[in-house]
Formats: sequence, structure tokens, C-alpha cells
Amino acid sequence: MAREESVLSRRGRIARSSLLVYGGFIYLFLFTPIVLLVLFSFNANEYGSFPITGWTLSWYRQVFGDPDIQDALRTTLSVGYKVTIVSVLLGTTAAFSLVRGGVRFPAGFRVAMTLPIMIPGILIGISLLILFTQILHLPLSPTSAVIGQSLYTTPFVLLLVAARLEGFDRNLERAASDLGANAFNRLRLIVIPLIFPSILAGALFAFTLSFDEFVITNFIIGSYNTLPIYIYTQIKYGITPEVNALAAMVLMASIALLALAFVVPATYRLVRKAFTRRVAPAAP
Amino acid sequence: MVPTAVYFGLFFFVPFGLIVCFSFWTDSNYTVVHDWTLDNYRYFLENAVYWHTMIATLWVAVAATAITLGVAFPFSYWLSRYVRPGLQKPLLVLVIVPFWTSYLLRVYSWLNILGDEGLVNTALKKAGIIDQPMSLLYHRWTVILVLVYLYFPFAALTLYSSIDRFDWDQLRAAMDLGASPTTALRKILLPQIRAGITTAVIFVLIPILGEYLAPQLVGGIEGVMTGNQIDSFQQGALYARASALSLIVAGFIVLLLILFRKSLASKEAYGA
Repeated sequence: MAREESVLSRRGRIARSSLLVYGGFIYLFLFTPIVLLVLFSFNANEYGSFPITGWTLSWYRQVFGDPDIQDALRTTLSVGYKVTIVSVLLGTTAAFSLVRGGVRFPAGFRVAMTLPIMIPGILIGISLLILFTQILHLPLSPTSAVIGQSLYTTPFVLLLVAARLEGFDRNLERAASDLGANAFNRLRLIVIPLIFPSILAGALFAFTLSFDEFVITNFIIGSYNTLPIYIYTQIKYGITPEVNALAAMVLMASIALLALAFVVPATYRLVRKAFTRRVAPAAP
Repeated sequence: MVPTAVYFGLFFFVPFGLIVCFSFWTDSNYTVVHDWTLDNYRYFLENAVYWHTMIATLWVAVAATAITLGVAFPFSYWLSRYVRPGLQKPLLVLVIVPFWTSYLLRVYSWLNILGDEGLVNTALKKAGIIDQPMSLLYHRWTVILVLVYLYFPFAALTLYSSIDRFDWDQLRAAMDLGASPTTALRKILLPQIRAGITTAVIFVLIPILGEYLAPQLVGGIEGVMTGNQIDSFQQGALYARASALSLIVAGFIVLLLILFRKSLASKEAYGA
């Protein structure tokens, strides 16, 4: 903090600058692998590694022309939107009961819903695999992947929406009720608009998590491919530069989705504010 | 809440109950025979490779957790204390970015760094320090390094949100009263961020106990963890064996949760 500067001792200044260097190293540690992956995707070297022998877009062209990859992309997107719908519905309704009563043991419910995020994915994968193949005798398919992934994504939506509901001023609803709004209109005009940004953020998070999910999916998708499963198979059977290009695109897509998860809810709030101001000017 | 509870009951808790049952049944000719027995557990006890791997897994998990927290603490401390408040949020978001990108790709990217033709070996060769590439992949420590990379964002985030609520005047007061900086940190700061430390430990240690991808891709034979053994039983359709080994991992997790239940019950643990 700025005002601290003058009173910092010599030792304090040394601690401060060495920590600054340390912080720099941490960001280097975090981003070198990611940047390198993107860099290699443009590398003309056909082994997809050092030395960088020139720059090319041909790996990207190969990715776009590959029917297996197009197939995997289609599966990824179709699993992704289903996971998003399931987790938004389940997460939001559960958040309502959790925050507004209706759950007998809220603390226990919260812990139970945190478990799927906390425990290793392999346990979810194995147990669902056994349920589907040994008990229900259902063929493994993208639908089983939707079920498995939604166990992992729903808690994120739940925690996000619950946090928003906890900071919610219930007097707004009481006021609306006094002014004659029925339960449906209170939900439509007061509650949904206020929690909508967190639902949107939750939906985008759920989609991103699904888009990248590997550990659970790998056990229960059978012979189908999502993009991460396809990439994994390629890595196992020898690294090709084409995989680096695909990997770079997947990486960029999740970063873009993450950016959306931050930007979209904020934009929604801004737009709504501008709109409501025009309709009903605030009292001076 | 009812639909959600039913859904999670059906697809999360019931399957877990199935694992418990299967672990006491036996595999025979690609099917599972429903005779109650302790055979699977006896098998793991009698074959040293399984409990050796289990000990190695625990060791890797504890070492990786300790290193992750050790690396994350000075970072979070720096971010919270020395970085301008306006810059803290953006820098924190930068830490989260890798956390939200593909887990598979974050493991895979280390092959580009540690491989024979990777960043480190190429740089050292260029500098004339080595002629032959060093073997950096497929060691136990490689697995630990990659695990630290994977879980660093979570530890940093949790520790930051807990350090950020600390009142630095208390530290200054302690030092005014004659405490050395390290004593002040240990006696004033650490006790107040204990809940954050516990949360970080739980959320790093527990998932690592079931890791199978990182050890498989960068650990090779030397890096095998219990998760890989579960995976290979599953691939051989030995579901009873896979269940028993999974249940042992789950047992460790339950033990940890009981050990840390007090700090988990407090709301502060979810400060992040």
C-alpha cells in the first residue's frame, strides 16, 4: 500500500521486491506451458517439438479437414448444451430451496453437493460405469457422459446462484407483494432479473467445464469421442502436430468462454440498467 | 430441491453404494459373482505392489500438497499485501485462467517442456551445458511437479481470500512490541488463516489421491499411482477389484474429511 512506503524498513523493502520477482516467476510457471502449446501449433517441424523450423498454418488446415475431429466437435457441443441445461435447472432450483428454506439439513445438503467437486473424478467415473454396464445394462453413449458431467457441473451453478440469493434483499419481494404482484409476477419481475446474471455465469461455467471434461467422460462415453477424448487417444498413439493445433484451439475456446462468463453477466446488468432507466426515470 | 436430490441420489450416491457391494463380490469370466467375500482386499494385502503403490500415492499426495501450499503462500501473501488493490483482482483472474482450461491439456503441455526435445533440454543444449538430453519425464518427482502446477491456482485462490481478510495493523503492532517478522507471521497471521489453509489442503489433497491422468502421461512406470491401478482393473473388466481399490481410496478421503470436519463445518472455509 502506498502510504506504507515511507515507513517500510530496509528489510521490508527487500522482502517486497523479492516477492515481486517471485510473483513474476509464478506467472511464468503458470503460462509457459500454455504459451508453448500454442506456439508449437504453428511450428512447421513435423514432430511438433523443438526446434521450431518455421511457421505454418497447415496443421490448422488439417484439423478443419478432419472428419473425426468434426465428429468429436459435434459430440462435445451436443453433450455441452445438454449438461448446461441440466445443471442450470437442477442447480438453480436446489439453490432456491437451500437459501429460502425447504431443506431440512442445509449444512449437510451443502456438503453433500460439494462432494462431487471435491472427490476424485475417477470415483464418479467408475461408479457410474458400474451402474450403467453392470446394473442397468445400458450401452455407454454421450448421454451417459451428460449424466456424469452434470454431477460435476451442477454444484458450481448451485454455489454461484446460492451466493447471489444470499445477498438478495427480500424486502423487494415484500414491496412487490404489497403493490399487488402475485407469486408468478414477483418471480418474473423481481427475482429472476436479479439472479439472472449468476444463472448466466453458471451456465457458461457449466458449458466450459463440460467442454474440457476428461476424467469422468473417459470412463463412461464408450466408443464415442469428445474433443478431449479424441486428443487423449491421439497423444497415446503418438504425438502429431495436428493435435497441437487442435489443443491450441480448445485452449483458446475455453479461455474465450471464461471471458464470456465474466463479461456477459456484467453486460446484462448494464443493458438492463440503461433500459430500465429509460422506461422509468429514477426520482431525483 | 427434490429433483436435484433424486438426481444426485440416483447417479451419485446409489452408484457409490454399488461400489461398496461390488468390492465384496468377485470377478469371474468377465462377470461379477454376487458372493460376499473379502477376497479382493486379501488380494491387495498379499500383493505388495498394491500397498506399495498406495503408500507411494499417499506420499505423492502429501508432498504435492505441501509443495503447492508452500509455493502458493508467499504468492498470496505478496498479492494481498504488496500489490495495489486495483491490480489484485485482475492478477487473481490471471491465476484462475489456467484453472479453467482443459485439465488434459495442462498435463499434456508438460511433455513439451520436459521431453527430450522439450524446452528445458533444448535450452540447456543450446547453452552448451549438456550434450545428451536429460531424462526429465517419467519420474515420481515429475508427477509431483505437474500436480503442483495443476493445483496451484486453487491453493492460491483459497489462501488469498483468507489472507485478504487479515488486518495488517495487527502484524505491525506485534512488531512494534518487539516480535521479529517471522515470529509475528507465525503467531499472528498463521492462526487467523488456519481455516483457509485447511480448505486448501482438503481441496488439493483429496483429488490427488485419485489422480490417474498425470501419472500416466508424465509419470510412466515409475510414477504409477493407485488411480492407474483402478483404471487398469476397469479396462480388464475386473469391476469387483476396481471397486475395492476405489473404496480404499474413498476410505482415505472419508478419514480426511472426519479429521478436518470442524474446519469444513465453519462457513469461513468457503470464503473463496
